[in-house]
Amino acid sequence: MWHVGIDVGGTFTDLFAANGESGETISAKVLTTAGDRSVGVLNALEAAAIAPAEISVLVHGTTTATNALVERSYPPVAMVTTEGFRDVIEIGRQRRQHLFALRQKRPTPIVPRRLRFTLGCRLSAAGEDLSPFDDEEARQVARQIRERGAQSIAICFINAYVDGRHEARMRDILLEEYPDCHVALSSETVRKFREHGRFSTTVVRAALLPVMTSYFNRLAAGLGDNGFSGSLLALKSNGGMMGVDLAIERPEELVESGPAGGVAYARYLSQTTEFSNIIHTDMGGTTFDASIVDHGEGLLTHDYQLEWEVPITIPMLDIRSVGAGGGSIAWVDKGGSLRVGPQSAGSDPGPACYDRGGAEATVTDANFVLGRLDATLGGKLTLDVDAAERAVSRIADRLGIDRLEAAEAIISITCENMAQAIKLVLTDRGRDPRDFVLASFGGAGPMHACQIARAMNIPRIVVPAHAGVASAFGATAMDIRHDLEEFYYAPVNEADFDRLNQMYAGLERQGRALLARDGIADAGMMLSRHAQMRYVGQFWEVLTPLGDGQLSADRAQELAEAFHNAHEAEHGVKSPTFPSEFVSIGVTAAGAFARPTIHGAEADAAAEVERGTRPVYFGGSWHDVAIYAGERLYPGVAITGPAIVEYDHSETVLPPGTQASVDRGGNLLIALDGAA
Amino acid sequence: MDAVRRNASEIRDLDPVTFEVLRSHFDFCCERMSKVLQKTAFSPILSDILDYSNAVYDADIRLVSQSPGCPIHMAAMHFAAQESVNKYGKESLRPGDVVVLNDPFQGGTHIPDTTFTMPIFSDEKLLGFAVSRGHWQDLGGGAAGGQSFGTHIAGEGLRIPPLKLFNEYEMNQDLLALIKNNTRCPEYIEGDIQAHMGALKVAEQEFSRGVARYGLETVEIAMRELIAYTNRISRSRIEAIPDGEYAVTDFVDTDGFSEEPIKLAVKIVVEGEKMTVDFTGSDPQCVGAINSPLANTFSATYLALRFYLCPEAPANAGLFDAVDIVLPDDCWLNAKWPAPTIGCTTVTAAKINSSIWLAMSQAMPQDATGGTMSDVNWLVCAVTDPETRRQTVFSDLPAGGWGGMNDMDGASVRFDPTGNCMNLSAEVAELCYPIVYEAFDLRQDSAGPGTHRGGLGARLQFRFNGNAELSIETSRTLAGSPGVEGGQESRAQRLCKLLPDGSAEVIGGLADDGAWHNPLLAAYRFAPGEAFRIETGGGGGWGDPMARPVEQVLDDVLDDYISVEEARTSYGVVIDPEERAVDLAATETLRGERRAA
Repeated sequence: MWHVGIDVGGTFTDLFAANGESGETISAKVLTTAGDRSVGVLNALEAAAIAPAEISVLVHGTTTATNALVERSYPPVAMVTTEGFRDVIEIGRQRRQHLFALRQKRPTPIVPRRLRFTLGCRLSAAGEDLSPFDDEEARQVARQIRERGAQSIAICFINAYVDGRHEARMRDILLEEYPDCHVALSSETVRKFREHGRFSTTVVRAALLPVMTSYFNRLAAGLGDNGFSGSLLALKSNGGMMGVDLAIERPEELVESGPAGGVAYARYLSQTTEFSNIIHTDMGGTTFDASIVDHGEGLLTHDYQLEWEVPITIPMLDIRSVGAGGGSIAWVDKGGSLRVGPQSAGSDPGPACYDRGGAEATVTDANFVLGRLDATLGGKLTLDVDAAERAVSRIADRLGIDRLEAAEAIISITCENMAQAIKLVLTDRGRDPRDFVLASFGGAGPMHACQIARAMNIPRIVVPAHAGVASAFGATAMDIRHDLEEFYYAPVNEADFDRLNQMYAGLERQGRALLARDGIADAGMMLSRHAQMRYVGQFWEVLTPLGDGQLSADRAQELAEAFHNAHEAEHGVKSPTFPSEFVSIGVTAAGAFARPTIHGAEADAAAEVERGTRPVYFGGSWHDVAIYAGERLYPGVAITGPAIVEYDHSETVLPPGTQASVDRGGNLLIALDGAA
Repeated sequence: MDAVRRNASEIRDLDPVTFEVLRSHFDFCCERMSKVLQKTAFSPILSDILDYSNAVYDADIRLVSQSPGCPIHMAAMHFAAQESVNKYGKESLRPGDVVVLNDPFQGGTHIPDTTFTMPIFSDEKLLGFAVSRGHWQDLGGGAAGGQSFGTHIAGEGLRIPPLKLFNEYEMNQDLLALIKNNTRCPEYIEGDIQAHMGALKVAEQEFSRGVARYGLETVEIAMRELIAYTNRISRSRIEAIPDGEYAVTDFVDTDGFSEEPIKLAVKIVVEGEKMTVDFTGSDPQCVGAINSPLANTFSATYLALRFYLCPEAPANAGLFDAVDIVLPDDCWLNAKWPAPTIGCTTVTAAKINSSIWLAMSQAMPQDATGGTMSDVNWLVCAVTDPETRRQTVFSDLPAGGWGGMNDMDGASVRFDPTGNCMNLSAEVAELCYPIVYEAFDLRQDSAGPGTHRGGLGARLQFRFNGNAELSIETSRTLAGSPGVEGGQESRAQRLCKLLPDGSAEVIGGLADDGAWHNPLLAAYRFAPGEAFRIETGGGGGWGDPMARPVEQVLDDVLDDYISVEEARTSYGVVIDPEERAVDLAATETLRGERRAA
């Protein structure tokens, strides 16, 4: 039976599958089907010649949710909220994104103002009725919503994190008046304070409910019709996965479903190589993503923003993006400085060398001018060298330097821009780059990995064996994972530990129940506790891992210590004499999924790994550089830079001063000479 | 193209890659400083409202880079750094020395803005300075937050001259004890100091990383080149403006004592690549607390111009060098001891910014913008918990609208250009303070009408469970934000008190009977069960409202941004509220009459 990972991206749908009995692996790449993306999934299976009936597990990452949100393409959504708070999702936190720009627009609210309704009922911060729920008023609003044609409704009341009874009553009335509608409650979506984040997340859930229900139903039907009877799972933004029936209820957890697969791959590397601390990087045509796997786990954030002041405040992988990719355009600004991006030529018109109408110099053009790209892109396209040279020359003229110098400068600046994204995530989270290895994914990533690593003083790089279908591969290497949270606000030395024990036990029960839904046996369940804590008087919390066992006043000192250490790890400072407090508590419930063993490439000394040489420009001069065939590399092969390793969907550039070797798993491990 | 080529060759001492790398290195350094300050500070005004800035300076105390924080701190901070360094002398400063000050007449602005200056060394050589400024919750004075609105600076809190708070990383405990004795919030002080120190240490780390990688000399050259770069961009923008004089007169409603509004006259003179901003003609130093020390006036001027001259360049001394500022000696914009100044960073800075934008709207009509609400409505409230008797202090800064422009409506409820602060979260407020936060939503019909209307203002309302005192600095209560290019003025601001029986009383601005009330409230008392409400102003409109497309007016009505009545009176659009549709015939007639009239 096959264990299949599928990643539905904006352009391509990738597949990776491993056979549990034979150990055989297969990968495939087909075009994403824009109208109904579930068709592309079936196409990928067909391309790989895998019959749905032969699949035991299908794990699936998708950008469907993200696209629906970004394009605002979902059935009309309404919102019911507390009087006086109709505009929380429109006003946001009243800040602007660009400090000194005269013209800047806010993102369009996910629910337009005309579909945002208010009720007079009101709870206090202690959960008491300041103003009771009025059934008749609620019923009128429900009828109005039905008349206006909204199909999904977000219910978001102030202080509902303390008690959801008003929200639950509103749902009952809505379902009585309007039985077919979808409903999302803020008290069920994020049980924590701060209305902007909670309302925004709930509205996102409401918008996605009809979209993802329809998508997964189509996918399940398409697979079912072809004999599929295995487990269908979805990748979550927290780096784990969940069953599709649960994903339909919690679609807001799918927003970073695409990149999560790549991070899972990095996590897999941390388990199968000597590296436990990995920086995951992914470079495509327009953006570069960076995130961290720290001691084998993807680092999470609670501060995710879909767009400016559109937060989704559930734990999500901390992935930082900068506008740097193969299509990024080089330009000279008014102060005479060379800049690259964030404007991108994308794939249409694309870089100048694609000869599709693009005239501006892009990163790809600079690579091509320097000889670092194969002139046929692995036989897919014939690149136009004259166009690339003309484009880069225009930049060179403006700077008063020669063409090759300009091309190297464009690459260097791009690498520095990408290093910024890595710096942001590392130093924001208090991590030292020298403790990490850089893992490079994506079509354009491995071309620049060595230079980025050098800019960051990261001594080692790994280019994974399946970089071309990284997210799909990662999808086959994931665990079920749920992050559950609940509000609990008290100083550590005044905490009600009996209540805390009960709350933790309750979250753990929920976690076990969720894992059981996806078929995880009791023995395979892993539960861990944590809390959001801060110094008394502070406003921002730090995620603090806590140990197991009954909590009690005797352990208060130990809990405070755990917080001081977590605070120091995040922010570089701690204040051991200051009192600390809880803001919320949480449980992570994970369950490992059995997956087939994947065999590395066999040593085949007969295979010819070199396929000739070509001139490549590095550091001010031309070098005659050996070209290697990536698919033929086997464990033990060693390569000294300068060299180029060509794969089907990507290319690795090894500049002078690098040493590479292939490990047992087929990964290319690179060391920089002279790096710390 | 030629200008660009000439400019390019001017970055002569650094290759383009190193220049670009170090430029982002300094930006990154300041961003990291801010992150540490925000996440570890104790004053909510720092951690949640984000009223702070961090910057790095070269060894001559010229600004190299600054974090995106609070623009009004932008150019004021080097005055503070200079005073701090002059006090002790460059040669006597050691690594880990930190000088603190808040004195408005020695490089400060208003008392709560507290500045920390630390020298940065590479081995023994002085490389530059790291500076961290934050608005502290309370440093004493006659009302919470120093908002006493008296006639003397002594009433606004503890005035700290440049003093060493740290000697080689060791805190001066005597000074700490003195500060803690002079605040309503002693529990915040040590945590805030620790947060500032954390930010300064980040700058030390980042500088030493830069030096380790690029070498001392390259880092020094880069600092110089960055300033030259911003200067080139600013000068080329000025050169593109037609030579001439662009003058604007605006007013602050009152200084709290005056019967007449206080006048601000500004004239921008452009000659070639030189710009002069002349405040001659503005009123003399006034009695009340809106006086602005020189550092604050300069800062407000530079930040306003930055939007027009060099928004994308690093915020640094290169802009300061491109602009001359003329200030009369006896002027409320050039305050001297013992003038009270608490309102200078809010009311006055916003007014300076708004006036300069109106002048620039003449100079660069393609970027003309309707008036911003031009105030930050900084309120500070001390409220006593009826059960514990404990008094807590909190702040909020409810924003208003920005102006319409030639291609867009103004933004609603967006913080004034002089800052970029968050509002207070209702749920956080109710958890921490004995209040019920009853509303923060859009104020219908508050926007200035126009082809592109202004943004809307807000309605903020909270009710007190215990006895409370509220202070607020506000203006634009006599008239709203002006429109441009035929656009109209917005609705003015208003402060109200709501009694438990539901009745409302205007306590600041124009009441329904036409009477006007002083909108600078100092320790205004509220009893339990009473509520405070502020209705903030919208932005001014751009272009004739009669030219606004009918369907956009209908959309505004359907979204309740404007009322059916406003659609008719300001836009000449007749809407049937039952049908939710435009009466096109009636609209054509009405608009025809308006055009004829």
